Amino acid sequence: MIRRSLYTLIAVVMLASLVLTACGGGQGGGENAPIKVGAIFDLTGPTSDVGTPYGEGIKAYVDWLNANGGVNGRQIDLISADYAYKVDQAEQLYTQYVQEGVVAFQGWGTGDTEALRTKIAADKIPFMSASYSANLLDMNAAPYNFLIGTTYSDQGIIAMVWAMQDWKDKGNDGTPKIAFIHHDSPFGQSPIPDMQAFADSKGIEFMTIAMPKATDFVAELAQIQQFGANYVVVHTVSSPAAVLIKDAKSQGMTDSVQFINMNWCADEIFIELAGDAAEGVVGTIPFTPPSSPVSGHEAADKWLKEHGSSLEEKGLHFTQGWWTMAVMTEGIKRTIEAGKDLTGENIKASLEGIQNFETGGVTSPISFSPTSHRGNTALKLYQVQSGKWTAISDFISAP
Amino acid sequence: MQSGIFHTTYRADMALRRTHAEKIRLALFLVFMLVFPFFANRYYLTLANQVGIATIGAIGLNILTGYTGQISLGQGGFMAVGAYTAGLLTARMGMPWYASTLIACLVTAAVGAIFGIPSLRLKGLYLAIATLAAQEIIIWGVTHWDAVTGGVDALVVPDPMLFGLRMNTDFRFYWVIWAIAGIAALATVNLFRTHYGRAFIAIRDQDIAAEVMGVNLFRYKLLAFAVSSFWVGMAGSLTAHYRSIVTWERFTVDVSVLYLAMIIIGGLGSVSGSFFGATFMTLLPAVLTNLGRALKSSFPFVDAIIPFVQQAAFGLVIILFLIFEPEGLRKIWKNIKDYFRLWPFSY
Repeated sequence: MIRRSLYTLIAVVMLASLVLTACGGGQGGGENAPIKVGAIFDLTGPTSDVGTPYGEGIKAYVDWLNANGGVNGRQIDLISADYAYKVDQAEQLYTQYVQEGVVAFQGWGTGDTEALRTKIAADKIPFMSASYSANLLDMNAAPYNFLIGTTYSDQGIIAMVWAMQDWKDKGNDGTPKIAFIHHDSPFGQSPIPDMQAFADSKGIEFMTIAMPKATDFVAELAQIQQFGANYVVVHTVSSPAAVLIKDAKSQGMTDSVQFINMNWCADEIFIELAGDAAEGVVGTIPFTPPSSPVSGHEAADKWLKEHGSSLEEKGLHFTQGWWTMAVMTEGIKRTIEAGKDLTGENIKASLEGIQNFETGGVTSPISFSPTSHRGNTALKLYQVQSGKWTAISDFISAP
Repeated sequence: MQSGIFHTTYRADMALRRTHAEKIRLALFLVFMLVFPFFANRYYLTLANQVGIATIGAIGLNILTGYTGQISLGQGGFMAVGAYTAGLLTARMGMPWYASTLIACLVTAAVGAIFGIPSLRLKGLYLAIATLAAQEIIIWGVTHWDAVTGGVDALVVPDPMLFGLRMNTDFRFYWVIWAIAGIAALATVNLFRTHYGRAFIAIRDQDIAAEVMGVNLFRYKLLAFAVSSFWVGMAGSLTAHYRSIVTWERFTVDVSVLYLAMIIIGGLGSVSGSFFGATFMTLLPAVLTNLGRALKSSFPFVDAIIPFVQQAAFGLVIILFLIFEPEGLRKIWKNIKDYFRLWPFSY
């Protein structure tokens, strides 16, 4: 009978914890009560390699802010948990946090951002995440989603703008041939229509090809070579991108063809995985990597050094999380300063009033308006030089 | 004092609920389900609704895998068929949600039957791989068939309306989901009291013997796929209407594995097992996350390890069940009932 009573004990403890914590919510916010913000991170799921530093960045920003007096004297209470990139768990956590009275929410990937967007519109909860799909800019379908990073469509177009300029600078005539190789998912496909339209308007020969789940991409590279591409825009995550670049290098393609990685495959992880083959690859990176120090890195770096780490170690996704949370905090701060109640609706209105918010050079200045939540339309291009992302352009905007 | 349950008439033996205790428990359960939403907050209602949808899906999978013995890794794909069909019919053609749900179930049943055709020649692991192919093909289809599914975009489904009320609030949709879950449970329990159901079980226990007895394997296997997919499609279309949005990432192969885990942990070949398994697997992450939060203040290190505990717990629970109670939570529940029935003189 020991086994059975043990089962009972475990069941009772678990149920009790569920009841106790979930009943704790719902208290009203006094004048100086902490401001509740909800967040979900991928710490153990398929995107945890980049999700972990992103989540740490958001948490660290809140800790740093609270240690430095909070928002106009009020602390931020960040309620967060891992959801392992599972949509059902994202829904559970979201509803729980809304029940507990969060006024804004930080999501993570395409999966949860898309799945929650109708509910956040109904609940009027301002939402930010690291999914930069241009679909989220539709103000009717996603009125409470705010995009901090440059959308994938804009990144693709900026990559093409740069390629055209680079082509001319190298003394060539006409327009280059550009190939777009992408993750085989809506995440990967999302910029295609906008990039195709841009290519057509400039008379660029353009091809797209999906990356299958494979251990090498030799066949895809052969197709790109047959097409005769001068530039290849890569839109996937770091590990397949590293395999792609290594294959390209071993085929001698990297000498004649310039590869341009979009943000989810242009980070420190890519350089680590691709090694020497990464050298010379260009990246469209909306958040300045720590290898190109700017003033917007200083607070985070100082905070991390006080806690036995450094920004160099945590990488650019930490910066991305830090500044995403900073923009959300700006919306909360403006709402308090305007003397309004901290509701999702008021925070949305405050965020929509943000014009040219400076992030210390980490991103181009962020602006929102009631008709557009496309916060960031410009970015710098970086190139891997001696194993580090080094800026090679000034901010370029998507036309 | 009784030493067990013995029936003295055929009528008693054939009854759906055989004992007084069963009837009382059912009545208590129904009263609880009826009263629960009036006291629950939104978080609990969301959990209850997720459990309800999972129960319907698990009953569907159990018909196929638990009762008929055909392993399926296509659960996520079949749910996607239900969700996209219902979503598209409502969003593009303006069909009322209840009509689109019913049609989506029928479409899923047909798709399930088509992917069930290989089951005539394939068994066990081979069938598992064939259904895994179904999963991959369907997901590839919904993400690439742009003209129909919209491909890249998530499919936004208009709010379901009934008598001028928006139905998909957590409170209102609770009634829809659990009414359908009740119908699914009742229909399935009764299905296995008919010759169709007995044919399914015969196929599971020994297909050659079943064929010798006159069970048309091809027909009944396809029928099992169709009936199973009907309920799986129901789970998918309810998800679409409940969340008002359909995205492919909700129906990945992880979902197929999760549902298999539900019916293994709950109990293969059992309707109540489907409910237990769905409840357990849906609440496990919620319980662990909240346990982590409750312990965080007293043991700060718990916060950092709880995500990993959650991952490990999933695998560990399945292994422990396979070793200690292969018949699942349903058997544990039965053991508890037996223990108290004979208490204090259990033998």
